[in-house]
Amino acid sequence: MKKISRRRFVEGTSVGIVAVAAIPEIKAQEKPASLPGVPRTTIRINVNGVDRRVEVEDRWTLVELLRDHLDLTGTKIGCDRGECGACTVLVDGKPLYSCSQLAVWMDGRSIETVEGLAKNGKLHPLQEAFIYFDGPQCGYCTSGQLMSAVALLKQKPQPTRDEIRSGMTGNLCRCSNYNHYVEAVHTVAHGEKA
Amino acid sequence: MTPLKTVGHATHRIDALQRVTGGAKYTSDVHLPGMLYARVLRSPHPHARIRKIDLSKAMALPGVKAILTHENCDTTWSSGDQLGQRRLFNNPVRFAGDPVAAIAAVDRHVAEDATHLIEVDYEILPFLTDLEEALKPGAVAIHEGGNLSLNNQRQPAPQTYKRGNVADGLKAADRVFEDNFTSAHHNNAQLEMRVSIAEWNGDKLTVHAATQGIANCRTDIAKDLKISDDRVRVISEYMGGGFGNKNQCQDSDLIAALLAKQAGAPVKLEFTRKEDFVAVHGRWSSRQSYKVGVKNDGTLTAIQLTALTGAGAYRKGSCDLSGTEVYQVPNLETSVSPVYTNTAVAANYRAPAYPQGVFGLESLMDDVAYALKMDPMEFRLKNMTRKFRDQTPYTSIGLEDCIRKGAEKFEWKKRWNPVPGSGAGPVKRGAGMAMGMFGSGLGRSSAVMRLDGQGQYHLHVGVTDCGTAAKTTMGLIAAEELGIPLEKVHVVWGDTDTCPYSVGESGSRTTVQTGMAVIEAVRDLKKQIAEKGAPKGSEVLMAMATTNPPQLQGQSRNSFAAHFAEVEVNVETGHAIVTRFVSAHDSGRIVNPLTAQSQVQGGAIQGIGMALHEELLYDKRSGLPLNAGYYGARIMTHLDAPLVDVVWVETDEPYGPFGAKTLGEPTIIPTVAAVANAIYNAIGRRVKSLPITRDKILGVLA
Repeated sequence: MKKISRRRFVEGTSVGIVAVAAIPEIKAQEKPASLPGVPRTTIRINVNGVDRRVEVEDRWTLVELLRDHLDLTGTKIGCDRGECGACTVLVDGKPLYSCSQLAVWMDGRSIETVEGLAKNGKLHPLQEAFIYFDGPQCGYCTSGQLMSAVALLKQKPQPTRDEIRSGMTGNLCRCSNYNHYVEAVHTVAHGEKA
Repeated sequence: MTPLKTVGHATHRIDALQRVTGGAKYTSDVHLPGMLYARVLRSPHPHARIRKIDLSKAMALPGVKAILTHENCDTTWSSGDQLGQRRLFNNPVRFAGDPVAAIAAVDRHVAEDATHLIEVDYEILPFLTDLEEALKPGAVAIHEGGNLSLNNQRQPAPQTYKRGNVADGLKAADRVFEDNFTSAHHNNAQLEMRVSIAEWNGDKLTVHAATQGIANCRTDIAKDLKISDDRVRVISEYMGGGFGNKNQCQDSDLIAALLAKQAGAPVKLEFTRKEDFVAVHGRWSSRQSYKVGVKNDGTLTAIQLTALTGAGAYRKGSCDLSGTEVYQVPNLETSVSPVYTNTAVAANYRAPAYPQGVFGLESLMDDVAYALKMDPMEFRLKNMTRKFRDQTPYTSIGLEDCIRKGAEKFEWKKRWNPVPGSGAGPVKRGAGMAMGMFGSGLGRSSAVMRLDGQGQYHLHVGVTDCGTAAKTTMGLIAAEELGIPLEKVHVVWGDTDTCPYSVGESGSRTTVQTGMAVIEAVRDLKKQIAEKGAPKGSEVLMAMATTNPPQLQGQSRNSFAAHFAEVEVNVETGHAIVTRFVSAHDSGRIVNPLTAQSQVQGGAIQGIGMALHEELLYDKRSGLPLNAGYYGARIMTHLDAPLVDVVWVETDEPYGPFGAKTLGEPTIIPTVAAVANAIYNAIGRRVKSLPITRDKILGVLA
């Protein structure tokens, strides 16, 4: 029986996980709503490296802007009330629940979503590890897990397993694939030592 | 067991790339041109009659396009109630969360605003939250005929099973043990909330549904909307978990379809997280009374179970209790009565009738073993099932190996305290184990295999893949039977217009049932290739199969498991954590050890949450839910989750695809009981009610 091992992942002898052209293209699909009497504000934001000027309703949350108006549906809504972490994105490099931020608060800030992780057609090492260790079961929490892990490794490049669990504890996974997520992050962080 | 080329090797999901790049399109990611957004107004009362609904203010709000209530919609939601008593909008409303109205509007904010403008005049009725009170004479009847629901034969009597004679068995016993156990209603709590998008093209309806089974979903929608199956197309490409919560069609599918019809535009209906907790369904609660007779040498003579289960306001699930079949015992009687209360509806959640039943049974069996001064593991080895219901041989059984190999991996002899509660404290360690089994019957499902002139194989299977890796599993089975690498099989899934019937990802049936159809379709295709040669250019060869389950020649086909837990309990604070866990499973041949391991680890960690934290609480004075949502439910987090070691006992199973048996649901069956038994072993006192929270631990220690 062929098994999954940290060593095999690090040595790169696994089934080829290579970059692909299938990474969703970022489309500008700002759909202006037309209801009268709703306060609107124009904001400037950078989303995944692209500067944008967007008119938003003041009541929109950041996740609503991303999903409904910028067509960036990789970020998910699991609770819309700051409990589950499925909507985690990076704002100026820090992980935030995008359901709990208003879009107007983002003026002048940089936002990174799961769609921005792969660069030049090459997956982020965490994305590769998530595939290799079978992180996503249903996959609905995966984008949030990824963004939290990216932020964690920026802040603490070589966390222990316990530090990974603490750092990502704001990201729920009801399939409860926590073991595989932690292994994936740990292997990326300590890859050269495996 | 002969090793195979493709099946049995750890393989990444064929759609893993989409899952890590945000490219996977889940139902809520679908956006149709001109689409409206819908919201549901729900009853704030646990039991009330609607005297009048005034929609005038809501209709006057700019952007509101359609509103449904019980006054203009009498559509039945048949998969919402096994007894056919449930409409989409009911009057009276029978629980806090019962739908009163649904609104479609130009955006989600307008729809939400409109719910606040609907004026409902309620006549408040008496309500019930407690099972025993619901059965008292004079209790308000939630349904005609009273609060004791019908059994699964639709008779006004409990669901029963009987073999031998329990009275004789108890008389023949040296000792008789009796005890009562309770378990709580808790939620599936899958990350993706209920969502449906409906669009009509003339009289053809397309529903993008978050469903565990597109074919069953389609049939149910067609039935309730009184149109033929071929007028309905159901699409579910990616699905964010369900654990039984998204079987069949859900009311959101029907409401979205009816709103779309009324508004003349596509409608997206998303439930909120709170709605998902109170208004969808969770696992049924239970009150179990067990009586067990045993000889002094540890041989069981009788088991009797009498129980009430909490159906909630409607009868959506079987509300049965299972687990006793894992013991060999000549005299067995079970009697289970589902009861209505004005609380959230109960239905399927991963092995619906098992973990709570096994918790009660295995807790008492543990007590019996300790009382007889037997190692609980030896007690189970002595009394475990050998034949199904002591009568029918199994096609294969690896239960003894699950216990022995699991115990070895866990280091049972080292970790288990012969004297429970004997640790020094304040943090005490303990070890517990439990066993379980689950049916793995074969049945009808279909598959289509196609080979085109370019040499590409296409496999059409009606799976949705709710996280089980079903489409990868189907691809692996096809590749193995074809003798080609997985990469050469193009899997087509998730759309009733392009895929044949599949059983649905419920009952842990997809691998064994749809997998058999895949094998049969491939065999037919290979035969055609041998006869006609491979297709060239624009030629195509196609094979399809609908399996007829093989005769098992009087045998029973089941999966088995034994789980082992180590806990640390702080006897000063009542805090309990699981520090080590081993899941040993006989599910025959494991088709994909990588994704199977994910399922086993996930099932165990879900079960630990059920054992220690999860319960949907109701305020008895108001009849309202108190803790709907993730914070309140306290589902397992990264920090709570121990490492789960997985032990495969791959029995040589003669039936099913390459000898594969069922896996997904057994993964949670013995977990809860193993944790409960470990807590007993740590502190020397038994908590008999789920979840085993701090206050209960401190309570038994006081």
